[in-house]
Parts: sequence; structure tokens; C-alpha cells
Amino acid sequence: MAYLKLSNISKVYGSGKDQTLAVQDFNLDVQQGEFISFLGPSGCGKTTTLRMVGGFEIPTTGSITLDSNDITNKAPNQRNVGMVFQSYALFPNMTVAGNIGFGLQVRKEKRDAIKQRVEEMLELIQLKQYGDRYPYQLSGGQQQRVALARALAIRPQVLLLDEPLSALDAKIRVDLRQEIRRIQQRLGITTIYVTHDQEEALSISDRIVVMSHGLMEQTGTPFDIYNYPTTDFVAKFVGQINLIRIDVVDMTKGLVKVGSQTITVGDKEKQLRSMKHLAIRPEEITAGHKEGNNNLHGKVYNVNYLGAIIRLGVDVDGVRVSIDVFNQRNMKIPKEGDVFEFNFPVEACWLL
Amino acid sequence: MNLSLRLRKFPLWSSVWFVIGILYFFMPLYATLDFSLRMERDKISLKAYQVAFSDGRFLDTFLTSNILAVATIIASVILIVPTAYWIRLRVPEARRIVEFITLMPFVIPAIILVFGLIRVYSTPFKIPFTDIVFLEALTTFEIGTDVLMVAGYMVLALPYMYRSVDTGMRTVDVRTLTEAAQSLGASWVTIMWRVILPNLRSALLSGALLTFAIVVGEVVLASFLGVDAFGPYLFLLGQHRAYEPAALSFIAFLLTWGAMGIIQLVTGEQGQAAGAH
Ligand SMILES: Nc1ncnc2c1ncn2[C@@H]1O[C@H](COP(=O)(O)OP(=O)(O)OP(=O)(O)O)[C@@H](O)[C@H]1O
Ligand SMILES: [Mg+2]
Repeated sequence: MAYLKLSNISKVYGSGKDQTLAVQDFNLDVQQGEFISFLGPSGCGKTTTLRMVGGFEIPTTGSITLDSNDITNKAPNQRNVGMVFQSYALFPNMTVAGNIGFGLQVRKEKRDAIKQRVEEMLELIQLKQYGDRYPYQLSGGQQQRVALARALAIRPQVLLLDEPLSALDAKIRVDLRQEIRRIQQRLGITTIYVTHDQEEALSISDRIVVMSHGLMEQTGTPFDIYNYPTTDFVAKFVGQINLIRIDVVDMTKGLVKVGSQTITVGDKEKQLRSMKHLAIRPEEITAGHKEGNNNLHGKVYNVNYLGAIIRLGVDVDGVRVSIDVFNQRNMKIPKEGDVFEFNFPVEACWLL
Repeated sequence: MNLSLRLRKFPLWSSVWFVIGILYFFMPLYATLDFSLRMERDKISLKAYQVAFSDGRFLDTFLTSNILAVATIIASVILIVPTAYWIRLRVPEARRIVEFITLMPFVIPAIILVFGLIRVYSTPFKIPFTDIVFLEALTTFEIGTDVLMVAGYMVLALPYMYRSVDTGMRTVDVRTLTEAAQSLGASWVTIMWRVILPNLRSALLSGALLTFAIVVGEVVLASFLGVDAFGPYLFLLGQHRAYEPAALSFIAFLLTWGAMGIIQLVTGEQGQAAGAH
């Protein structure tokens, strides 16, 4: 039995004409100690689902169980769930130590116990000297670490984070997400992390739930989500992908045409019946000709210099393909109008 | 260099308007002060202040008004804080309506309010369909009148109090703070006492100050309900005397500024915290 179980959850906001179906058919089993990310574009229902676990919204249908207890209709203060908000939400009238100790005070724990736990937490988030400061005396990243410590101090059964890093700048975002992961693994706490940043989700999760329009698109490990997307949406939303229109030449042999050039997609007869696009990650594509691979050539129409990589737009007989090339010192960077030859392995071809 | 920079930040016209503003505020004040010091012919003296203070009614009415002000502030806070809080939390769509209602005292003169109060509350309360009186008319006994006064003052102070409280709640984002506290296990009472009220301190103080200023200077309500408050006393004094009202006005002004100074001191640190947020 899963530690945290969401069964047939749906949520409808409003009533009558202006109803919003924010979440539907949501089923998820979370194991104890697992780090799950909800990933999806704005408005897809990530926050709503998270808030239902936290008790701030009541599901319209379905149930939520935590450690075999039904918590579907329990008030937020009756659940043992820690929450971290995008806006930090530290209490401005309390010091850092006061904030971290708040949940324990509410639970009427002994003074010494609280003090000890606060020390422990401050150490965990590496802000030992900051106990007496007020929130406004801290940077955004520090404030969010305190918010994390505050949520963890009460030893919650589940930790919920709603885009905790969105308000921070890029560098701190990367540092802090590793720190969150480190702390999560050290405490072994079951965690749900909401984000619309795919890199964030891919880098720290055990499993990712990709959502769109209130529906779960795919659930899986970061590796599966990236390498084996099961829906169109996931393929396009997670990572960069080229969708290339194809015309079938020979279904049984797996031969297809891109523009007027013929390539093979392998043994995919069944998929070729219904699917009309070839999907390839840009990094699967290499410049030049290679025997045994699929080879295509086209005219460069766009060169995008991104630092470590150069993203080329290539026009293959009217079909546009985007290709990432590693930026090497001795490389001759293609110019617009150049003819560019490239290849990719047969196994890298998906059909969508 | 430094000077030219500063000059650029303070362009000519801004400075001119600033000076005009200052004059506009301080000329009358200076005139009042000057006048209040000239009770004795050809001589600067504090005679007017002496005379004003030696009148027993001054202290009586001033005290009455202060008590009424404090009662009004307490009742307003009890009424407005939970209301504004609930609106922010649960019925944000009602905010416009409530804001409109709180502006009514600006549209409806106090004189209409007081006649309304008198009309409704000058008859005894009877149990419906019987002649049994369970409460005498509020206007006929002192506590009853005081209750009416406080109720009326609450209406007059509503725009100021509601606005400061609501703004205070916006600056600290009470909604998310509430959710944070709830997730940490706090009950409504705990959230109110430990999270909401402390973070509203400066908002409450400024609302309280404005309420205080209104109540202490208010004339219409007090005169028509026949309460010996400071406002009517000052008004009466103004009709019969020349120098003493000037002296008292000046004192009242100092008191107000003193109170504002105290608020600045008390809330200095807090305001900074809220500002940073
Ligand atoms: N309180 C509410 N009342 C009505 N509709 C709501 C409410 N909260 C959310 N919605 C709607 O439900 C849908 C899902 O919203 P939700 O906040 O869960 O999205 P999200 O995935 O968290 O998006 P974002 O990445 O922008 O935070 C949206 O269409 C939103 O407009
Ligand atoms: Mg959201």
C-alpha cells in the first residue's frame, strides 16, 4: 500500500456557467521517502493538486490517504504536512528561530526541545548564525531556506513545495534545488514538488508527473520522461524536440520520406499506421555523413549561438529541423544559406 | 557635483510647491499660536492657557472624549479586523462592496446619522406584539447614550480604520501567512493572536490615531445626543471667548503630533519589516 495515495481526484472551481475543471482523473501512489515533481505549464492544475494534499482545497471527487488514514476532508492544521510557498511566507514579526519554532510551540512542545530542534534545523540549512535575524534581514534564498526549515521542524509526514525557487535568480535556483534534494534524501521525507521548470524537475526528482489541462499526461522517472515520452505533449514539453513531418514509403520496411529524401525509422509498422511525425531530440543529431545512420541534408536558415551549443535551423526540402551542435574551438560555424549535412541513429527515431 | 546632483533631484518647481505647501500648513498654526499668546495686552504670555486649564469643564470633557475614543477604537478593531480578514481570505469578490460601504460616511453627513440614531433609539424596546419593555430608550440614560455615541463614532471612523487595516493586510499577504500557519498546525485563535494582529500593529496604530483625532474633535454627534464631550465644549468656548479656544486648539494639535511621533517610534522597526516584505 502506497504511503500517500490520491485516488480519482478531481477538482471543480466555481459553479454554473463559470466552472473551471482544474484537475480530473488524478491517480497517484507515492512511496515513503519518494521525491515526486508535478511538472506542467501554467494553469494545468499543479498547485490545485498540491493544495488538496495540504488541505487548503477539498477535492470535488476522490480521496486522499496518508499512511492508511483518510485525510480527504481534514483541516490543514489537523494534517501533519509541511508546506513551502513561492513567496516564502515567513512571519515578519518573528525571528528566524521564532519562525522555525512556531509549529513546535503550537504543538506545545517543551522549551528545551524546541530550542534544540531549532538549532538542528538551522544547522541543516546552514544558517547557524542567523537565528536572531528577522526575515527582512535575509536574502530571498536564505528566506526560502528558513521556510524549508520551518516546514520540516514539525517532522511532517509529507513535504509540499509550490514553485519554491521561482522568485530567485538563476544561480541560486540551481544551488538551492540541490540543497533541497540533499536535505530531502538525508531526512528521507516524502516530498511533492511543484514546478514548471523541466530542468528542475528532471534534476532532482525520483519520479515526475507531467500534467496538462488538469490531466496527468505521464508519470515516470526523469529518464523515462525524457527518453520515452508516451504522449505528444510530454515529448514537446520536456526538453527540446524536432517534430518532422514524414510521408510513409514502405510500412513494413519502415521507410519514410522527409521532403524528397528517404530514411528508415526501424521496425515500427503499427505506429506508422497512425502517426505522421518523426520526433528527434536535437542532441541525437550529428553533423556530417555517417554510414549506417539516417543521413539528411538541407539549407541552414538560422544560426543561434547559445554558448556551449549552437542551435541550427535547417530546411530539408521545406521541412524545418532544429539541430544542436557542440561549440568546439576549431569548428567552422555554419552560416545562413550553407548546405548542411547531418545524421542520426535509427534508434533515436520516435513516431508521434 | 554633489550639489548639482541634489539640485537635479529637487527641481525648482518642486521646491516652490514644497515651500507653498509648508506655508499653507504652518501659517494658520503660527497665527493660532501667536494669537493664543496675546491675551494680555502688549505682552506675550501664557494667560490664555492658564485660564483654559483652570476651567474644570475642560478636563471633564477632554476625559469623556478620550474614554469615548478608546471605546470606539476597541470596538472598531473587534468589528473590522475579523471582517477585513475574512473578506481577504474567503470572499475577495465582496471587497468592492465593503469598500463602498466604508466610504458612506463621506457621503452621508453626520447630522443625518445622528437624526437617524435618535429617531430609532429614542423609543423603548418592546418585545414584539406586547407592551413589555425590556430596554428603555437608549437616549434616555447615560450608558445608552454612550453606546449610541460609540456606535456613531464607529461609523464615522470606518473609512479610516477599514482602509488602514485592509492596506496592512495587503502588505503582509495575510492569506499566505494564514496558510503557512495552518500547515504548521495553528488554530484560528493562534493565527489571529500570533500572526495576524502582530503584523497589523502599525496599521492598527495609524487607524487608531485617526479615529482618536476624529472622536476628540467631533461636534455634531455629541451636541445632538447631549453628551458633554470635548468637541462641543471647544465649540461653545469659541463662541464666547477669543483667546482660550486658540490655546486649546494649539494644545490639541500638539497632542496629535505627539501621538503620531509615538507611533513612528513604536512602529519604526515594524514598518521597515513590512516595507522590506
Ligand atoms: N480559487 C480558484 N477559483 C477558480 N479557479 C481557480 C482557482 N484556483 C485555480 N483556479 C483555476 O484552476 C486551474 C488550475 O490552476 P492551478 O493554480 O492549479 O494551476 P498551476 O498548474 O499551479 O499553474 P501555475 O504554474 O500558473 O501556478 C486554472 O485554470 C485556474 O484558473
Ligand atoms: Mg501554481
